[in-house]
Amino acid sequence: MDSRPGDATLLLAVAERDMGAFRTLYERHAGWLAIRLARRCNDRDLVADAVQDTFVAVWQRPQGFRGDGDIAAWLWGIAIRRLVSRMRTRRSVAAVFENAGAVPAAEDQVLLSVEYGDIGQALARLSPEMRAVIQAVVLDGLSAKEAAHLLHLPVSSVKTRLYRAKAHLRAALAEGSS
Amino acid sequence: MTGWHLDDDTLRRYVERVDSLAEGASAEQHLLSCEQCRARVSAAVDVIDLAAVWDRTRDTVEVPRPSVFERLLRVAGLPGHEARLVAVASAFRGVWLVGAAAVLAFAALAAVAGHARGLWLFLAVAPVVPCLVVASSYDPWLDPALEPELVTPYPALRLILLRTIAVLALALPAVLLLGLVIPGEAPFAWLLPAVGFVAVVLAASTWVSPLRAAIAVSSFWLALVWLLAALSGSPGAMLQSRAQAGFLALAAASLAIFLVRRRRLHQVRPWR
Repeated sequence: MDSRPGDATLLLAVAERDMGAFRTLYERHAGWLAIRLARRCNDRDLVADAVQDTFVAVWQRPQGFRGDGDIAAWLWGIAIRRLVSRMRTRRSVAAVFENAGAVPAAEDQVLLSVEYGDIGQALARLSPEMRAVIQAVVLDGLSAKEAAHLLHLPVSSVKTRLYRAKAHLRAALAEGSS
Repeated sequence: MTGWHLDDDTLRRYVERVDSLAEGASAEQHLLSCEQCRARVSAAVDVIDLAAVWDRTRDTVEVPRPSVFERLLRVAGLPGHEARLVAVASAFRGVWLVGAAAVLAFAALAAVAGHARGLWLFLAVAPVVPCLVVASSYDPWLDPALEPELVTPYPALRLILLRTIAVLALALPAVLLLGLVIPGEAPFAWLLPAVGFVAVVLAASTWVSPLRAAIAVSSFWLALVWLLAALSGSPGAMLQSRAQAGFLALAAASLAIFLVRRRRLHQVRPWR
């Protein structure tokens, strides 16, 4: 659309050890990655570390992107796993969600039901613990083991909560449609 | 690129993390494929200091990747910063080891050729190679990086011993391998002298620069071998157990002196 180089071009330049391209890539992506990571981990230092790890990994292995799909999605895949491995080494940090208890305002509820129908409300009714598991496994595509590290839970708890959350959603949707 | 974008309100709720799970998930899915909305989100970020993280990231990637040797040291259980300290010694930048190996290879070849002088050459060269490499691994003249290392609060003794062990671990197998191709019992005659000379260099480096010590020891040894060769014509004298016991005693005495005087190692500057 304009003369700015695309992410794929930048990544090729990074493979050629181009620090300028690396910086541009960082400026384009570090911000939203940081926000998205911060939604999964309260500790700002850990989020900063994970962002740093992500870009160090990109610098070391830019050829890890195989050219399919969005580079943003590839970066996110690296970032969430870096966060998981940082969490694994820092047992004391709790991964909780600041918005866990936040209830959307009434007008937002209306918007939500327009936009997402019953599923939005069904998700909103899940307990924070269940939502965290859904977010990690279903939305972020982590394995049960990775989610367990991120949430500081035993793998069995992740599986149980996921099972219960799915059953809960299924019931809520069935109820809504009847 | 559907023409649909996050509206300002949704975007604000996403950044401030006050949205619902469904709304957030929808926003995140959109962000993955929409460069414009990513830029808008990035502009609103205040969760971390992006400039500081960039500085750290750049510093990390600009440091050269650890060498094979350094990674080997880490695998052996040495903490990262110590592995770096040991591995940055100029002796490990290849040149020294390659040079030492080449000299030894020539000497071994000459010995294999059955030349009496070749055997002498090997016996003259092999014992001094380890002490020269050890000296070069912590001589401040050859390794300018050592100076800041030694002014940082880091036990110089530990550094030097670690480097010595690392050098020996690298150099000894190479010399041993070369020694194996030499016929007779001569191949291992150099081992105790080599250990003795390393200990002498360590001890002497509490007075003078390690490189000077190593050069002095080497010159002395070369002169001695030359003298023996001129007098007896056979390297037998060096293989006698009495001579070997002498080298063992030399090693033990030097090591004792080194340990007693190890505090002097902190005074690196007088060497210069």
